[in-house]
Amino acid sequence: MSVAPNSPGLTTIMDRRGFLKVGALAGGGLLISAYFPLGSSLAEAQTAPAAGAAPDFAPNVFIRIAPDGAVSLIAPNSEMGQGAKTALPMIIAEELDVDWKQVTVHQGDLNPAYGRQSAVGSGSTTGNYAALRQAGATARAMLVAAAAQTWGVPAAECSTAAGAVLHAVSSRRLTYGELTATAATLPVPTGVPLKDPKDFKLIGTRVPGVDNEKIVTGQPLYGIDQRLPGMLYAAYVKCPVFGGKPVSANLDEVKKLPGVRDAFVLENINGLVPGVAIVADSTWNAFSAVGKLKVQWDEGPGVSQNSEDMAKQAAALAQAAAVAPPAAPVKAVEAVYHYPFLAHATLEPQNCTAVFKDGVMEMWCPTQVPSAGQGLVTRGLGLAAGNVKVHVTRVGGGFGRRGSNEFSLEVAAIAQKLEGTPVKLTWMREHDFGHDNYRSNGWHFFNGGVDAAGKVVALQDYFVKMLGGPGDMNGGGFPFNAVPGSSVQSGKLPGPIPTGYWRAPGDNGNTWAVQCFVDELAHAAGRDPLDFTLDLLAALPGAAARGGPAPAAAAGGGRRGGGGRGGGFAAAKMVAVLKLATDQAGWGRKLPRGQGQGLAVCNANGAYVAVVADVTVSPQGVLKITKLTAAVDAGLIMNLSSAESQVQGAMLDGIGAAWFLKITIEKGAAAQVNFDDYPLMRLEHSPPVVDVHFLPSVSPPTGLGEPGLPPAAPAVCNAIFAATGIRIRTLPFSGQDLKWS
Amino acid sequence: MSNFTLNVNGTSSTVDVTDDTPLLWVLRDTLGLVGTKYGCGIGECGACTVHLDGVAAKSCGVTVKDATAAKITTIEGLAPGGKLTVLQQAWCHLDVPQCGYCQSGQIMCATALLAKKPKPTDEEIDYALSANICRCATYTRIRAAIHAAATVA
Repeated sequence: MSVAPNSPGLTTIMDRRGFLKVGALAGGGLLISAYFPLGSSLAEAQTAPAAGAAPDFAPNVFIRIAPDGAVSLIAPNSEMGQGAKTALPMIIAEELDVDWKQVTVHQGDLNPAYGRQSAVGSGSTTGNYAALRQAGATARAMLVAAAAQTWGVPAAECSTAAGAVLHAVSSRRLTYGELTATAATLPVPTGVPLKDPKDFKLIGTRVPGVDNEKIVTGQPLYGIDQRLPGMLYAAYVKCPVFGGKPVSANLDEVKKLPGVRDAFVLENINGLVPGVAIVADSTWNAFSAVGKLKVQWDEGPGVSQNSEDMAKQAAALAQAAAVAPPAAPVKAVEAVYHYPFLAHATLEPQNCTAVFKDGVMEMWCPTQVPSAGQGLVTRGLGLAAGNVKVHVTRVGGGFGRRGSNEFSLEVAAIAQKLEGTPVKLTWMREHDFGHDNYRSNGWHFFNGGVDAAGKVVALQDYFVKMLGGPGDMNGGGFPFNAVPGSSVQSGKLPGPIPTGYWRAPGDNGNTWAVQCFVDELAHAAGRDPLDFTLDLLAALPGAAARGGPAPAAAAGGGRRGGGGRGGGFAAAKMVAVLKLATDQAGWGRKLPRGQGQGLAVCNANGAYVAVVADVTVSPQGVLKITKLTAAVDAGLIMNLSSAESQVQGAMLDGIGAAWFLKITIEKGAAAQVNFDDYPLMRLEHSPPVVDVHFLPSVSPPTGLGEPGLPPAAPAVCNAIFAATGIRIRTLPFSGQDLKWS
Repeated sequence: MSNFTLNVNGTSSTVDVTDDTPLLWVLRDTLGLVGTKYGCGIGECGACTVHLDGVAAKSCGVTVKDATAAKITTIEGLAPGGKLTVLQQAWCHLDVPQCGYCQSGQIMCATALLAKKPKPTDEEIDYALSANICRCATYTRIRAAIHAAATVA
């Protein structure tokens, strides 16, 4: 990370070169940027000072302070709703000690100097926190040094506040803007001390998103909003059956359709799913032509794939595994849980814009991992990385979908054919559903049991999912780590159905199954689910050390555990969130039939989250979620507003998926291809009260985009059981009869 | 291809497009008003909501020809002279957007609701915005912002 300097001289050069390199990159696209409101952040940030004017102070790639005091900060990671474009610059601004009102934030394009630019695994904040603090603190130290030099006083006598250096002894004050010229001449120091987190003024407050005003006035921000002079519009049609390819197509007819400029087959490109590209003078004319396109496909062996058959194969695997029954519990509990494939269904469909000119591919990408898109294009088209320039746009929903970047290669391949002409590829919604990297389906075959004292004495899980992709189980996570002799085995279903990262990978389905089964065990034991879970946790080391230091392994390594992935586990943190959530929710009240509370807990991405759901179910089976209460230990909170919003949205995301959503594979293709048969949660289903409580913490921040999701759906399902006695073991549950009498 | 004259945000423009082009794509591709979003193309998601004579309508389902008769307002035309409406201010202040992609459609729907019912209940809000999907599920804050705007207005 170039920002954490080891040698002052070298770092100055490196950082300035880094900045200049970015400048040259932006400058290279200047003609385009002049027309173009997006991806031109650095061009804006670097408005050249007039001749003779004082220079800006730019001690590293993230910070630029103008002589008028304006502060430009870079958000290195893409913004997809998780709040990175606001939270990351807040970290810099905190250490730099500037007033947030002075700050303008610019989205960073792909540039190795920015360090970790991937917005996946809830890692934008955790991956950049230390480096961005150092960047801010280093710049602040240089401004202090500049003031001390100007006044001829020791730097130690100076302090900073709201973008100015103060010398209290002599009541003197210089703004950062007044210090840029002097500061720019100083060497970049190393090992600058950071603030004590208890002195933070900006971090932890509620800061509205930096793009809010642009969003509510409809300004161009997203990849799909790209417009370039002379730009054409493309659609790309792939075989609906996974693994299939085009044999022939009525390209000559398609080329004659209104507005269509070209149509061609793309194949034999490394990393590209083959298909037919249609290029037109408007998105509509491209989409219309897709309706007239006739392709003869070679569907390949994938056509034999069906969700129905997969269920039978999963059961056969479980039977063949012949897991030995648990050792004679007093009460045995056996259950099979199943969750389906899910699509990401980002509301902004996949899209990308590119122009290929003079051997350089310039691209505007709504992506979570800009370097991955660049890599696909360099490998697929044989271009050098330096000749694939990636501008990062705002992302209209990620949820893991835009970690894969196939749209980048598709549009680049089209742009290469149209050399010199910019082209925007937009996936039709039907193609977005039909060619996702789905959340894998999964089956849990549980065997468990409790003894006469209500203690868990057996816990076995045979887990089946698609081969490949994330979401594996192991025995290291809670509650398997709390039951001696517990076991987790797994089987895999082969096939060409692409699966991938979907918000809280693995945990999004596995925590649902496991936390519902724990609830089943609690009821089998005749125990309150909270007491039952706390007793399980009490058996683990460190459970009682509430408020004490977390086990070292949990500090950064506790990535996933609720669904069973190993990593560090801090039982005390799980106990603390359980107690806070249940306290706040008024857990344990006697409720009439038809009303219920349910509880679930997880640890994911280093965070601990407990959720209590309050539901009512009418005798006719109509479910209403009346309240959700979450307690969260995510370490230090950066932006309280977006942190709260992330947890609220993640809970509803998990619940909406569990309630309504599935992708079924029929004859090797997705059967649901638009929102009419993939009914995302709407306002009417959203509970009137969604409370989020954060445990106070000064520990380094954990991830927070995902951890709120896994415990929400099991909390609701457990609440439905409490209200009705009906146990939900298959998702989605919208089709399940919840009537009671 | 034919010429059509549209009145968008108080400005009259003549466009030359294929006759069956939905208003959505004329706004986005021809007029460059990209605040109106494409989400589904079948009227299920609400991201493309605009006002036709003050009534919320999904622009993916209105042909350019049918739109010629109406006064069209898009998200870009909501703030007269650049001054945000009370609802837009509430939206910013309460930090409603996450990814933000659906928000112009939500705001257009909510604006039409408040014009008819200045103090809507939760149920009325849910009903009026039932055609609008927020994939990030910012629903808690959407309700709060509409109530906040109703209180101030």
